[in-house]
Amino acid sequence: MKKRLIVTPERCINCRSCEVACSFTHAPKPNSPAISRIRVYPFSEERNVPVTCLQCEEAACMMVCPTGALSRNPETLAIEYAPEKCIHCKSCVYACPFGNCHYDEAYNQVAKCDLCGGDPACAKFCPSKALVWDTQPPIGKIDKDAVPRMQIKFTLPSP
Amino acid sequence: MRMVIDGRVVKAEPGQTLLEVATNAGFKIPSLCYHAGVESWGGCRLCLVEIIKASRPERSELVTSCIYEAEEGLVVQTKSERVIEARRDILEMLLARVPDSEVIRELAYEYGIIETAYVKREDADKCIMCGLCVRICEKMGAGAITMAERGAERIITPPFGEASDCIGCLACAKSCPTGAIAYLEEPDEVKIWDRSFARMRCKLCNAPMLPKEQVDFVAAKSGLSPLYFEVCDECRKKQSAKSFARLMA
Repeated sequence: MKKRLIVTPERCINCRSCEVACSFTHAPKPNSPAISRIRVYPFSEERNVPVTCLQCEEAACMMVCPTGALSRNPETLAIEYAPEKCIHCKSCVYACPFGNCHYDEAYNQVAKCDLCGGDPACAKFCPSKALVWDTQPPIGKIDKDAVPRMQIKFTLPSP
Repeated sequence: MRMVIDGRVVKAEPGQTLLEVATNAGFKIPSLCYHAGVESWGGCRLCLVEIIKASRPERSELVTSCIYEAEEGLVVQTKSERVIEARRDILEMLLARVPDSEVIRELAYEYGIIETAYVKREDADKCIMCGLCVRICEKMGAGAITMAERGAERIITPPFGEASDCIGCLACAKSCPTGAIAYLEEPDEVKIWDRSFARMRCKLCNAPMLPKEQVDFVAAKSGLSPLYFEVCDECRKKQSAKSFARLMA
């Protein structure tokens, strides 16, 4: 069975480590973060929802892309973006019904989740297992107070 | 298959062009009109390289690497004396055509050219007639611009000067290697090819989005409902979060 990015909003503590990890992992150059592909929306203390690309089977972004700059990676099943093929028409940004395609004006690139090529940084840095890269959802209740908040140290991959 | 580029053996797949093979292997070949998203057509000719075919080892020839397909046993030189000389000639001519283009000036300078020996074009714009914009517009599906007139008069324009097929996506202008296509991108409208397009606004937050013409065109072409394009990505994401939050116990 293939690994998936499993999101369990009930476990999310709104620490937003995933956003930071995503920004730095997708930085086009060192120390120059890109916009995050994942975002946490807090509704209440107990309700925090991380939203990222669902890698739809029939993906609207892929359907509107005229050049094939968005294509499915058969290994990870993620829809990946090839900047060299993009003609910047921004059709995908507005076609996505979940709002998971963004346009990074600073780098003139589409910003969408590519599951980091099969090892998502967001899941790696999630302290409460709200995001896991696995075949099964995490089991057991989470004691949110026991999670060491904001004690995550980043070792950034050089892009 | 295997080839030799600048003395190094590299692997190539059938159907790959020399430019792709060389770029993947880390060699730098200058090019202006190459774009991976559209078909190459050897317009700017800057990417030329010197090759010796296995079937004809006694003679070398210059080819444009963006359209020449990889061959077994090909020996390629990307910066031989002959290549550099040819590129200098091309750059001198480009510099005479677009004396005000920063991109061409910088590229020419890299090849040691500060002034062109040719007569500079008067009232020159920045277009080098590489045709990338035409190919991109065709790929987009609109096919709104084309080359017109002949010889030195040749220009890129919408047919008969009227941009009736243009959808205002600005893809041509944003990919132009010399920034020759004038456009305006304001919150209310985009302007290109002497035509103005009103931008749609997000139903929820009023943020400016794509021109109506582009939405109608892309929706019809992809089979998606135009309803997909009524809300901006930020508001859609928020909506998704709300839906998921409702699903939580």
